Amino acid sequence: MAVSWLSRLAVRGPATVFPALGMHGEDALYRLARDPGIALVDTPRHAAILLVAGGVPPHLQDALRRVHDQLPAPCATLWYQSEPLLELNQPGAVIIDDPAALPGAVKKTWRRLITREQDTAPRLLPDTPPNPWQGLGDDGHGGEGMMGGVPYGRPMAMPPTPDLRDGLALDVLTFRLGPFFPLWPAGLAAEVALQGDIVQQFAVVSPAFPQAVPQIFVEAQSRPVAIAELERKRVQHHLYAFFHALGLAHLPGLARRALALAEQCDSRPVQALDKAFTAFERALVRRGFFALYLPRGATLEGEDARALGGVAARAAGVEDDARHADDGYRRLGFSPVTQQAGDVPARWRQRLAEIQQSLRLIGRAEQGDAVTAATDSIELPQGTGSAHELLENQLPGLEWSEALATVASLDVAEVSPWPHP
Amino acid sequence: MELLTLLLILLLGLGGGLLLQRWPGRHGASPTYPQRAPFLGGGTPDTHAWSRYHIRYYPMTLLLIAFEMEMMFMYPWAAVYVEQGMKAVMEMGMFLSILGVGIVYGWREGVFKWQ
Repeated sequence: MAVSWLSRLAVRGPATVFPALGMHGEDALYRLARDPGIALVDTPRHAAILLVAGGVPPHLQDALRRVHDQLPAPCATLWYQSEPLLELNQPGAVIIDDPAALPGAVKKTWRRLITREQDTAPRLLPDTPPNPWQGLGDDGHGGEGMMGGVPYGRPMAMPPTPDLRDGLALDVLTFRLGPFFPLWPAGLAAEVALQGDIVQQFAVVSPAFPQAVPQIFVEAQSRPVAIAELERKRVQHHLYAFFHALGLAHLPGLARRALALAEQCDSRPVQALDKAFTAFERALVRRGFFALYLPRGATLEGEDARALGGVAARAAGVEDDARHADDGYRRLGFSPVTQQAGDVPARWRQRLAEIQQSLRLIGRAEQGDAVTAATDSIELPQGTGSAHELLENQLPGLEWSEALATVASLDVAEVSPWPHP
Repeated sequence: MELLTLLLILLLGLGGGLLLQRWPGRHGASPTYPQRAPFLGGGTPDTHAWSRYHIRYYPMTLLLIAFEMEMMFMYPWAAVYVEQGMKAVMEMGMFLSILGVGIVYGWREGVFKWQ
């Protein structure tokens, strides 16, 4: 009686989904984030549904099994444009390929789970302690006394090493994070050593999944294409980056606004887009995105910035932009905009400036149906260099929140050789 | 008799507490070991989570205790110092100077710097 009453109440609430993003899985994230009946959560513990969006390479499937088994019962898994794990590839497995059908399938699964019409998913890993109890000691730490020992097969977080901030020696926590950590790019796995909240070491174990460029950028490499269309996709890319960063900064309302703007980029008239963007920009400043949430560190200079290319380079004063060499863009009066500081806020200011610039270009290009003139060198929305090595040098010494904000400010994923499907 | 009543209340309280804790989850299986592992986005930890962590508000807490103890003692003192006269003033002076050392120590540790 009580359970059915509670179930009826629970069904009315939003479906809690933990997205485990595979290759090109971001589309699913954007689609679900816009739906008020679906709540995207940051850990599997808060979720009833695991959404595996995009292909997961075989070497990351063990990590996926670990995430899968962290959902509390009752739980279910949905596969969006993805191949189910061998153990879960049964007749009842929900595989969705059509993006439009995804929110409906999520809500249906949620309803069936809560009303007990659908059984909970089976556990994939054995229910045994990962490191069985082996040691001695009164306090359950495995060794003698409070120091040393191997509690549950794992060494204590010691010995202390000098702290990078104020010399206070603290224990070092070492762990591998990712590849399904929702607060940084999909696929990125790293071995992190934290001392307190300071990153002491950061080593990339598995790089972020390559990010596909929109089809129009691939076409631009073989034939002249409409500049307005290219720039609309560029604006969309930057707004998606804002969506991720604002989610990280705990500004969900603004994040949804960035997402809504990004979704309107393809079709909305440029004047209306420009007006909405100006209002969004004002809201960013008013809500203190620059003043409160962005760290001042992680400055890129000279060669580092140049090697990364794109927004990160121009935010450090490097005037590299392939559009400058394109006659089609020159006729529209294009000249690169840059910042000087090269730090995290400068990268976000650069993105804002480039969105503004692109909106102006769209306005002019649509009046005269301007097309690109060069096909050999196209300025992609993201930088072409790899930021993985850079992270290993830039993140140590930063607080954990600063490190996450730094990762969000960079286009970490490499450019995929294949266009967006 | 009173002891028996107290014991009964204690038992009822404990029983009620346990019932509230266990009853809603009587159908569900207890979490498995993989579910209880820390969430690291599919990653695994190397060390035990039992580690020494710097509570960065620690000096601020010391300062709060220094001032709080001062106030705690000053209320009863205020009630009797007219009666006791100079003796009470001297006692309070000694007490405040000991606490003052704590505040000077806090000052040296940078408690008053806003970070």
